[in-house]
Amino acid sequence: MSSWPAETKYISHSTARIDAPAKVTGRARYSSDIQAEGWLYGMILRSKWPAAKIVSVNLDKAWQIPGIKAAVVARDGSFNIRFYGEEIAAVAGTSKQVCLDALRAIEVQALVRHEFVVNENEARKPDAAQVWDGTPNAPATPHVRENGSVDTAFPECAAVIEGFYTTPVQIHNPMETHGNTVSWTDDGVTAWSSTQGISSVRDGLAGALQLDHSQVRVITEYMGGGFGAKFGAGAEGALAAKLSKEAKAPVRLMLTRFDQALAVGNRPSSFQKIKMGALADGTLHAFEAENYGTAGIGGGADAGGGGGGADIPMPYIYKVPNTRVKQAAVAVNAGSARAFRAPGNPPASFGMESAMDDLAVKLGMDPLDLRLKNDPNKIRQREYKLGAEKFGWKDKYQKPGGSPGLVKTGIGCAGAAWPAGGGTRNTQGEATVNPDGSIEFRLGVQDIGTGTRTVIAVVAAEMLGLKPGQITVRVGDTNFPPGPGSGGSTTCPSISPTVFYICTKALQQLQAQSGLADARGENWFAACKKLGVSPLVVHGQWERGLSADHACGVQFAEVEVDTETGLVTVKKILGVHDCGLIINKITLESQINGGIIMGMGYALYEERVMDDLSGVVLNPNFETYKMPGMADVPEIEIVLINMPERGVIGIGEPATVPTAGAIANAIANAIGVRVSSLPITPAKILAALGKVPPSVNA
Amino acid sequence: MKAFEYATAHSTDSARELVAGNGAYLAGGNDLLGLLKEYLVSANILVNIKSLPGLDKIERGENFWTIGSLVTVAQIENDGEIKKLFPGLHDAASEVASQQIRNVATVGGNLAQHSRCWYFRHRDTVCLKKDGDLCYARNGENRYHSLFTGNDCISPVVSSVATIFTSLDATAIVLRDGKETRMSMAELYQRAWENPLAHNSLNHGDLIVRVEIPTARSRSAYLQASDKHAFDWALVSCAAAAEIVDGKLKSPRVAVGSISPVPHQVEAANSFLDGKILDDATAAQAADMILQDAKPLEHNAYKVPLAHALIRRTLLKLKGDA
Repeated sequence: MSSWPAETKYISHSTARIDAPAKVTGRARYSSDIQAEGWLYGMILRSKWPAAKIVSVNLDKAWQIPGIKAAVVARDGSFNIRFYGEEIAAVAGTSKQVCLDALRAIEVQALVRHEFVVNENEARKPDAAQVWDGTPNAPATPHVRENGSVDTAFPECAAVIEGFYTTPVQIHNPMETHGNTVSWTDDGVTAWSSTQGISSVRDGLAGALQLDHSQVRVITEYMGGGFGAKFGAGAEGALAAKLSKEAKAPVRLMLTRFDQALAVGNRPSSFQKIKMGALADGTLHAFEAENYGTAGIGGGADAGGGGGGADIPMPYIYKVPNTRVKQAAVAVNAGSARAFRAPGNPPASFGMESAMDDLAVKLGMDPLDLRLKNDPNKIRQREYKLGAEKFGWKDKYQKPGGSPGLVKTGIGCAGAAWPAGGGTRNTQGEATVNPDGSIEFRLGVQDIGTGTRTVIAVVAAEMLGLKPGQITVRVGDTNFPPGPGSGGSTTCPSISPTVFYICTKALQQLQAQSGLADARGENWFAACKKLGVSPLVVHGQWERGLSADHACGVQFAEVEVDTETGLVTVKKILGVHDCGLIINKITLESQINGGIIMGMGYALYEERVMDDLSGVVLNPNFETYKMPGMADVPEIEIVLINMPERGVIGIGEPATVPTAGAIANAIANAIGVRVSSLPITPAKILAALGKVPPSVNA
Repeated sequence: MKAFEYATAHSTDSARELVAGNGAYLAGGNDLLGLLKEYLVSANILVNIKSLPGLDKIERGENFWTIGSLVTVAQIENDGEIKKLFPGLHDAASEVASQQIRNVATVGGNLAQHSRCWYFRHRDTVCLKKDGDLCYARNGENRYHSLFTGNDCISPVVSSVATIFTSLDATAIVLRDGKETRMSMAELYQRAWENPLAHNSLNHGDLIVRVEIPTARSRSAYLQASDKHAFDWALVSCAAAAEIVDGKLKSPRVAVGSISPVPHQVEAANSFLDGKILDDATAAQAADMILQDAKPLEHNAYKVPLAHALIRRTLLKLKGDA
């Protein structure tokens, strides 16, 4: 059985990104930087109605705009529109402005439906407009999971709390928007995609365009973030391909921020009604929950209702002997959900961890003690204890609302889990060892921004006794051996073992061919020289044994709340995380920083706002879809537990899971009352404090 | 955006001639370009006024200071003497948007900027402010909207510079039909109070050329509250200015932004404060007076306690206590 080296020079240490110079000098070509020979701009015409039947789309006037080289409809014939922003047509032209002009010239004949619904609570009502004709928006009966007997368990509890915890729809807003440059020629299709899955884009495009997989090549040299919503080419990719075929030129169709808010997926909302009870010693005894949320138009007709999946894991990371959980998704006329960093987990964590703190208050217990009493996971137990020490929990903790003055301080904590995060067996790669000692790795994985190239270089350098800078890494091309999608926290645990095996094989062959007993390190160049004129090419793939899954993590938050303005200032976040064997500390910390900042946005700022009357998304921009800026970001301290014995585990998702719960708990601890709805805005804080007068009927 | 011509004016006369018809003045462009790109306004010609002579100066006088309309918000923020003499103006300027925007945003443009109402700014809603039939915000998503209005539109004025200018009793000098017209801040926004289509009282072709700030009030303060810590609009802003003689307020003026189509002021509160020694109770009483006729809607009632807190804090800051 293979194992990772016990003594390491690079693994578990910090190596700056090997592509940092390319990134900071602008040499790195992101998908949105691609300028293929003769390329055209592409843009999409979107529905301005939340519900309509499109009768016909006339592109003639678009074609008449000088500079327009292609115009296509999103779907042939008559079709239904089910959300504001759904694709109707697309154009390609020589400038962005001619495309904009052409979009305005397209004539759309539509039967506008005035029956639509964009609000989850309205959509659940029996007389609500139906998103999918003839199908109720929510299933008649929710999914029910039951353990033990909650009905007999609640009366046995010493303390019972009830709460209604809600989370909004969160919009995907990576730095680089979704999009592709697609070139469709007689030889096939080449797509430069902003994707986290070149293989899935290749397969998806081939299917949509009815081409062989071998006729489609997807390239992603650099891309600006994915977070779960960039696995496919999307409607925008298929439209770019159609436009390219028609225009006989490459078409770059990158979405705008406006587009981004409408049609590329989002995190479903949740409305969690939780009742939870504990015995006098704090042991969780009974848990009952009803949750619904919307995945927009979702997958349609799932489980008898129109909404796609919006279920969340409940009671999340805790074991409660008696549980009853009912869940149902509800369809609304809005863009559908897609995977979003740790799908299901941040809302589940926020609801459950809020309930835990509320229960601690009722029990008169320190909320950290309540967690130590009930968290079944040994690693998190260790992390809580380590974190509490570092954070100074015992010294800082005051009873809720106990902080004096108008600006109150509070602390909170929450735990994370991510059940996946292991390696995937479809990961392959190859390396060419040249007689001059240079070595190139080629893996059909892509760097979602986390430092994938650097991980490959670090593992290879460690194994071969070289420096990371001596390793050439190529990724992001479907012509390379297939790799995993960058999602589910699986990339690092997939590629690290793969590179391990490629290196092992390369060394075996190099040693055999060169006659040197050990080709590593100082012997490397001498060994390579003995290859003569032909390079050594070795292939390897992922195998079990060097990676694992199930990362944990806990986070502590300290906040200041101005009880007159409602402004929350996060003073500090401490994250204690584990992900098995740490490959590269600096990029790992960077990923946790990003997860925490994203979690902060979820806690305090982000929310898709829809208008009931017009059905539009009201904040399709960064002006009113608010995200953390540098002035909002606190001191972030990260403590890592290195567990080489577990193998490599991904960290992407767990890093963002507990932040919102920890911040929400810190706020409740500061002001003495719970704001049970995300985002926790000044308006909600003032309302929770009972300071807001009733409104006057308009 | 629609195609337009572009010209640079070198005199106010030629600027006025060029903009006649369907033209628009272009200075920093922060507001105008956004409006053009969203097809919310159209102009057949953009008249660059940045080369107009003399409008980019801050002139220091004994009785009043003059700030040219092309002076940037960053210039105000970085002027050490303004910081000493008009600390509230300094603070208001430093809260505007981001550093990059402040570097190009002009005082005239800041005062003349259009509504930020998300229904107005949305390309696919036709609200009252766009000559439609109804104010969507009134029964819709109105968390950022007004507590006071004189018409059916509840879009508030968002210029923080206007808020502090109001408390300093500044006067805008507007070139109208070739003649200089003097407008108080109240007058500059009065039309927005009455008419949903207006965001200020300027006619087409009117050009703000400078603002005069009396030096009579040596104390001034500005505070705003936002969802975020930087680069975010004020949920509510508040400015106050006065002289303090023998511990007593003299000629105090308080203005509140983002709660009305005009910088909100209540003369009775100003009179009440005149001659008072500031303390918590007095400040609270003034805040009560300023907000007593507020008509909160479904989602903006939080602005009442928020404005109350800001008024009290701004007044106490005036005194130097906070």
